[in-house]
Amino acid sequence: MTRFVREEYTVDGVKTVLHAAGSGEPVVVLHGAGTADGFDFAEQWADRFRVIVPHHPGFGFSGDDPTFTDMHDYVMHYLGLFEILGIDTVRLVGISLGGWMAAQFASEHNNRVKKLALIAPAGMYDPNHMPMDIISTPGEVVVGSLVSNFDVLQSKLPAKPDIHFIADRYREATTVARLWWEHPFDPKFMRHLKRVTMPTMILWGDEDKLTPVGLTPMWQRHIPHADIRVFKGAGHLVHLEKPEAVAAIGAFLV
Amino acid sequence: MSADLRFNAMYFLPYVHLPKNHKQFKSTWVDFPNSFYDPEKGHKLYKRYLKELLLADKLGFDAIVVNEHHNTVYSMMATPNIIAAALVPQLRNAKICVWGVPPNFMLPNRLAEEYAILDVMSKGRLEVAFPLGTGMEYWSNPVNPATAREKFKESLKIILQAWKEDGPTTHYGKYYTYRFLNPWPRPYQKPHPPCYIVGTGSPETIEIAAELGFGYSSVFVPQERTYELNEQLRQRAAHFGHTMRPDQLPLLTYVYVAETQEQAEKEYVIHLQRFFEDYARSTQQWLAPPGYISLEQLKVRAAGADKLHGGFDFNNVSKSFFIAVGTPEKVANQLGEWAIKAGTNHLNNVMHVADMPHSKTVKNLTLFAEEVMPRLRSKGVAQ
Repeated sequence: MTRFVREEYTVDGVKTVLHAAGSGEPVVVLHGAGTADGFDFAEQWADRFRVIVPHHPGFGFSGDDPTFTDMHDYVMHYLGLFEILGIDTVRLVGISLGGWMAAQFASEHNNRVKKLALIAPAGMYDPNHMPMDIISTPGEVVVGSLVSNFDVLQSKLPAKPDIHFIADRYREATTVARLWWEHPFDPKFMRHLKRVTMPTMILWGDEDKLTPVGLTPMWQRHIPHADIRVFKGAGHLVHLEKPEAVAAIGAFLV
Repeated sequence: MSADLRFNAMYFLPYVHLPKNHKQFKSTWVDFPNSFYDPEKGHKLYKRYLKELLLADKLGFDAIVVNEHHNTVYSMMATPNIIAAALVPQLRNAKICVWGVPPNFMLPNRLAEEYAILDVMSKGRLEVAFPLGTGMEYWSNPVNPATAREKFKESLKIILQAWKEDGPTTHYGKYYTYRFLNPWPRPYQKPHPPCYIVGTGSPETIEIAAELGFGYSSVFVPQERTYELNEQLRQRAAHFGHTMRPDQLPLLTYVYVAETQEQAEKEYVIHLQRFFEDYARSTQQWLAPPGYISLEQLKVRAAGADKLHGGFDFNNVSKSFFIAVGTPEKVANQLGEWAIKAGTNHLNNVMHVADMPHSKTVKNLTLFAEEVMPRLRSKGVAQ
């Protein structure tokens, strides 16, 4: 299997680190509210595509930009990165917070997104199916709620978090706070989802404790043509728990 | 030339009727259920505390200090200006210090107005301080901790502009737009009441105080660090062309006076213990919401563990902080020594903690005013 190679760019003054593997048309994976869980799962798509996993500003190995306060700032950032990488059209995969980001990018630039795959995306508001508030929920509770079978996550996390690991998470939580502290939802985001016109797949675990699976009907209402796949016995990080979910995305992207 | 020492009586107005099972809660802040609050008991407490603060004035304390906290038993002063307004018409000599309202939780013009009202009502006896607000307050108010410091600085700029410049003026900033900044009334004191920054000694707050020529009221800062901090403040203020006067560096102390050392400890320590263990009990998550502190500060705090919020050993706490407990002579000597080391002539004394009953509080206030203050009055640090 082709392995990820680290690359570093500067986008509008912000250090942007990405991991890329394979060749062919680009697939860009937009990660969620943390980077500790890793992205090796996406390497298997590299046999057919150029798979690119950037770290958003304020996350992982990328630099900070404290001026980023809403999702549109990230859309602008990725326009800048795509320009540097020479990417015209793209297949987007978004996970959780990155799912909101991918869907927003797709609604604003629907002529540039060929296919859209969303894994348990954030951003949908339904008062009957409120997501876990990851800002006020203690970090260890959030981590414990990410998957149904914790074994798949345990090996990716330190046995005993040291101060550097804690500081890295605090930094990512700070980035999320800039984005979501006052406005964890954006009604305009949902309104503009009608502009998501490309083929769309939405994947969900039926045991998701962060973004409950009960949110899927609302997604279906906003993106009627979306192919929604629910995986039994999986939590929020479906892609870590269910190899068939990763395979389904791979087949969908072709 | 020596200047007199100044003595404040500082109060938190805690809600003292904790439920029996309160230890089951990790924190008595933020999400500690307010169903435990009984307004009948609250009413009695307000009456009692106001009486004690007025007694402090009568006994000759130079100032009464109040401040703001939210969602907690630690303090019943979610809006300290209301408490100050209740006190102002009744105070005979004491200044009223609101130290203070975090500007981030108020519209800046409104805070400038409320302080001006208190200053005019008290005929220029108001002093104010500007805290960023503890981490807990950000969980309790709809204000982003990740942008708190930036917003705080903009608020200060607006408040000072409202006080110093003849209105109407304008302000076009990141967080606020004022087309007509023109608050009535304006402060009695010109250009404005004495101002302090409140902080725990972070580099960011030191710089703000130094640059603006404000005083600095440090809270929960250990002894050695306080001496260093005051030196830093003097140096940084000088860098900006200001002189940090001794009276601008109030020293936060916890004081209890009784007839003998043994009696003082017997009467006081249990309440101090409850203050740290129960009333100030919080969690790391509440203390440091995302973005509230820098990563450097996060690492410093983690390395030092938290000695304040939970976990109590009287000897350790007494060595770490400015806690003077004992006979009038001992307390006077202790405070005098600390004032000289800290280069201050301004003692900000917490005279009541946790569930200390009325009788002990009256005794503490009285003995302090009658036996400690006269011993120290003439020992002020040379100006």
